[in-house]
Amino acid sequence: MPKQNRIIAGVYHLSKKLGKDFALRDINIQLANGEFVFLVGPSGAGKSTLLKMMYMDDLPDSGQVIMGSYVSTRMKRSTIPELRRKTGIIFQDFRLLEGRTVFENVALAMKVAGTGMAEIKREMTDILTRVGLYHKRYQFPGSLSGGEQQRVAIARALANKPVILLADEPTGNLDPEVTREILELLFRINSSGTAVLMATHDVDLVKSFGQRIIYLRDGRIVKDREMLFRGNLRDTLSDSHVDYRARKFTDNAIGEDNGKNE
Amino acid sequence: MAGINEVKYIIGESTRMLKRGKLSGLISIIIMGFSLLVLLIFLLITLNVSMVIDRGMEEIYVYVYLQDGLDKEPVEIIRNRLLDIEGVKGVVFVSKEEALKKFRDQLGESAEILDELSSNPLPDALRVQMKPELTKSSFMKKIAQTAMEWKGVEDARYGKKWVERGEKLIKGFYMTGLALGLIVFLSVIFVISNTVRLSILSRQKSVEIMKLVGATNSYIQVPFIIEGGVQGIISSGLAMLLLWIVFSFAQRYLPGIVFFQIEGVVGFIVLCALLGAAGSFIAVRKFLKR
Repeated sequence: MPKQNRIIAGVYHLSKKLGKDFALRDINIQLANGEFVFLVGPSGAGKSTLLKMMYMDDLPDSGQVIMGSYVSTRMKRSTIPELRRKTGIIFQDFRLLEGRTVFENVALAMKVAGTGMAEIKREMTDILTRVGLYHKRYQFPGSLSGGEQQRVAIARALANKPVILLADEPTGNLDPEVTREILELLFRINSSGTAVLMATHDVDLVKSFGQRIIYLRDGRIVKDREMLFRGNLRDTLSDSHVDYRARKFTDNAIGEDNGKNE
Repeated sequence: MAGINEVKYIIGESTRMLKRGKLSGLISIIIMGFSLLVLLIFLLITLNVSMVIDRGMEEIYVYVYLQDGLDKEPVEIIRNRLLDIEGVKGVVFVSKEEALKKFRDQLGESAEILDELSSNPLPDALRVQMKPELTKSSFMKKIAQTAMEWKGVEDARYGKKWVERGEKLIKGFYMTGLALGLIVFLSVIFVISNTVRLSILSRQKSVEIMKLVGATNSYIQVPFIIEGGVQGIISSGLAMLLLWIVFSFAQRYLPGIVFFQIEGVVGFIVLCALLGAAGSFIAVRKFLKR
């Protein structure tokens, strides 16, 4: 087991221009193993661009991204697929292949990593059960609800057992009820050890959980609130998970947040 | 590098692509098939015309007419001297009797007028055939002029007008053929590359998803390349089949025409498979680079 506080992902003095304007300017973030972090900001703040830098869909103009052992300034383009296999990524629009079943969509991620069919079948039961879609494994995405499609995407993201899951506005297309279910699932995944970085524009949604929140505006970090109980991450995470379920969704009773966005 | 799982994956992805893109795949195969058919018809016409030309060229001779009453020995000397000339393929002795018989045959019904003759007015002759690449007026002129100087030679002739006109015709034919062929070839390439590009564009989303889950470029490319190759085989096969049907009909009216030899047919299909694979490779690679 890796140490709890080991840094597994970092962004250092990262700047990126899109066209003439800075999309990101001097961003510094470190993520510890097993951490759950919200990346919050209005649309156009640079959340998606930052995540893209992290799964290296695009490279920074200056600064550096480090994901595990992959360093943006010191890696070959040909190793990017390796990085992707070790990084789970989900999006607002799910990005599933329409012509393939749930099983095949998830299996694809494992196949491209060179996993054999026998092992895929073995693992699949576990993965699909975790996201609650085992009984729908032979259905096509088109016949599933939005929430279910996102669960498929999550299953696919987890297929290669990543240390980190990047989620770009994963609940953007979902109604509040389903949003809650997806968040619950992400917390559950996090509590089993996978770090999660979730970007969202919805401040109200996330500030009640007591997780670390990074506020991004106009391409700059305006606030990065570290976890209070950094030392015992796992406990804190499971606490928050219980809290969250106990307090219901809309309740903002927890007093940790400054309430700046109210 | 490529283990058994990779091979299985590639086979699975390729067959999936071919199965799934049924309609669009069918349409592109038909478009490519017909484009190739146009090219093939053009090639087949060129082949047949050039064969007719070659056959015609074989029947072009220089006739060296001998003086009347020449003995066998001097005839043999002349024959050997002709054979010694570089570029001469063969020399055949045509006796005056043979010549008259042939003339009679050519006249057909009106051959009766020859009966009026008391003796055969035609001379013995040597018929000189050139190597095909040297069957041209300049060379034949040289032979005729040389032979005319020799002892025992009455005259030497070749169908100067005909040969020169034929040469112009052939030159014109090949020039137009080349120009037309280039146009047809470029249009076929254009149509096919566009078809390939469109079919790949329609799968942009799946390529992006593949990249997202960590597929390497070659993983993404290989199924496309195989698909391109298979499409090349099917569409060129289709084109050949259609050409054969067209050919069979045409043969009723033009019994002498020939089809491509089996090596040509196979070669064409293999070439199309390679072109299809290469086309897909280039199109996907462009697309992956972004």
